Amino acid sequence: MRTTTTLIFTLIISILSISNAQTRKDLKAIYNSQYSYELMCLGVGQDGTKAIKVWGYGKTAEKAAFNAKKDAVAAVIFKGVPGGNGAAPTPPILGPDGYEKHEAFFDNFFKAGGMYLSFINITNDGAPSGTDRIKMNKGFKVAIYASVNFDSLRKYLEEQGIAKKLDAGF
Amino acid sequence: MLPLLLVGQAKKPTIMVVPSDAFCVGKGYYLTSNISGVTQKIPDYKKAMQEDSQLRLVITKMGGIMADRGFPLKDLEQTLKNIETESAELSMMASKSSGADINETPVDVLRRTAKADIIMDLDYTIQKQGPKQIITFNLRGLDAYTNKQVAAAAGVGAPSSFATADLLLEEAVLSHMDGFNGQLSRHFENMFQYGREVTVVVRVWSGSDVDLEEEFTVNGEIDALSMHIEDWMAEHTVSGRFSTVDATENLLKMEQVRIPMMYTNTRGREIAMDTRRFVSELSKYLSDTPFNLETKVYQRGLGECWLIIGEK
Repeated sequence: MRTTTTLIFTLIISILSISNAQTRKDLKAIYNSQYSYELMCLGVGQDGTKAIKVWGYGKTAEKAAFNAKKDAVAAVIFKGVPGGNGAAPTPPILGPDGYEKHEAFFDNFFKAGGMYLSFINITNDGAPSGTDRIKMNKGFKVAIYASVNFDSLRKYLEEQGIAKKLDAGF
Repeated sequence: MLPLLLVGQAKKPTIMVVPSDAFCVGKGYYLTSNISGVTQKIPDYKKAMQEDSQLRLVITKMGGIMADRGFPLKDLEQTLKNIETESAELSMMASKSSGADINETPVDVLRRTAKADIIMDLDYTIQKQGPKQIITFNLRGLDAYTNKQVAAAAGVGAPSSFATADLLLEEAVLSHMDGFNGQLSRHFENMFQYGREVTVVVRVWSGSDVDLEEEFTVNGEIDALSMHIEDWMAEHTVSGRFSTVDATENLLKMEQVRIPMMYTNTRGREIAMDTRRFVSELSKYLSDTPFNLETKVYQRGLGECWLIIGEK
């Protein structure tokens, strides 16, 4: 009887450990995913720009803010900007598979100090504070308020042959 | 350089912003007409363009954005002026030698209207809610070939107590145009993939000896003329796409006809295809044996063409 109880207990522990490992693995995958951008629209931006609030992750708050800048540009290209605060949704410049199709281009575009920085204006310089700075187990999650030069970015990608022009083929 | 010259480009659609009927009637920009005892309100675009500075602001803003995307808008106000000038010139014009005037049928006069391939049907209202103003914006992209809505942008802006009506309108345009152009882009992609969607109607002149039920033998197969026309359509449309919506002895109406964007002419040059050229090819087919039919090609609107059997 005692042996059976021990066996059942061991089995339950094993199942729980496997499912927990799976959850952690899934969470890590979500955390590391290049498609996981957290952003919200702040309203209608100035002519040709998008005003957004973007969250970034990093070991330090500065690193997280740096990643948020990159995510702001990447989100506009691959995900689009959701509507909100009186602004209508903006579709992405490329589809979600845009990165896979032009991997070499975007690896260079998003490298440290890459071209992507020329399409972003940060409205809150310095490390974010208050509710925009969350301390996590192994780092920080911070939000930045950014204005992305959407029209300039779209034109640049069109000139580079990455995005299709509206009048392509005509 | 030579190969570049030989490769043509598809016909670029013209786009025009036109205030919606609801907008014109709501703002009092309309004419009243009595047709067969029924009073109708007809939009007066000229009045709208002359008297509504906000409408002009919206159209200018939209025009700037569209020009930036490679589609300069056809201007409604300028088109209306041009039609007036053209009518005046046509009525005054006379040949130097004989004094003959320009030949124009009543149908030609009737068809002298503002046209565009895609109409951006615009409507907006600014409502007051206490001290705040709220803008409701509605923009529809209508394909003149099919009358289908190919793009749309509609929504309510954020209420504001400080922004002027002009600022709210500018904000609405900036807010909605990227989404609208995204849908327009998908429409163009669909067009390049599956062909331009048009309507083809075959009719019969009253004095014609043959109607659409007349039987002919083609490649040993005896069938009604309408069936042979459908066979030709199946061979010449993109993936054989078309739908016959009406078929009698005097009428064959085919909608959602997907014509190719380009075709290669007899000189080996690739040129843009349009509805009239497509129906002219059908006309050539019917003029050949075993049909030997005389037909008239009549273009009606931008995306509809009639082929009338019996005579020119």
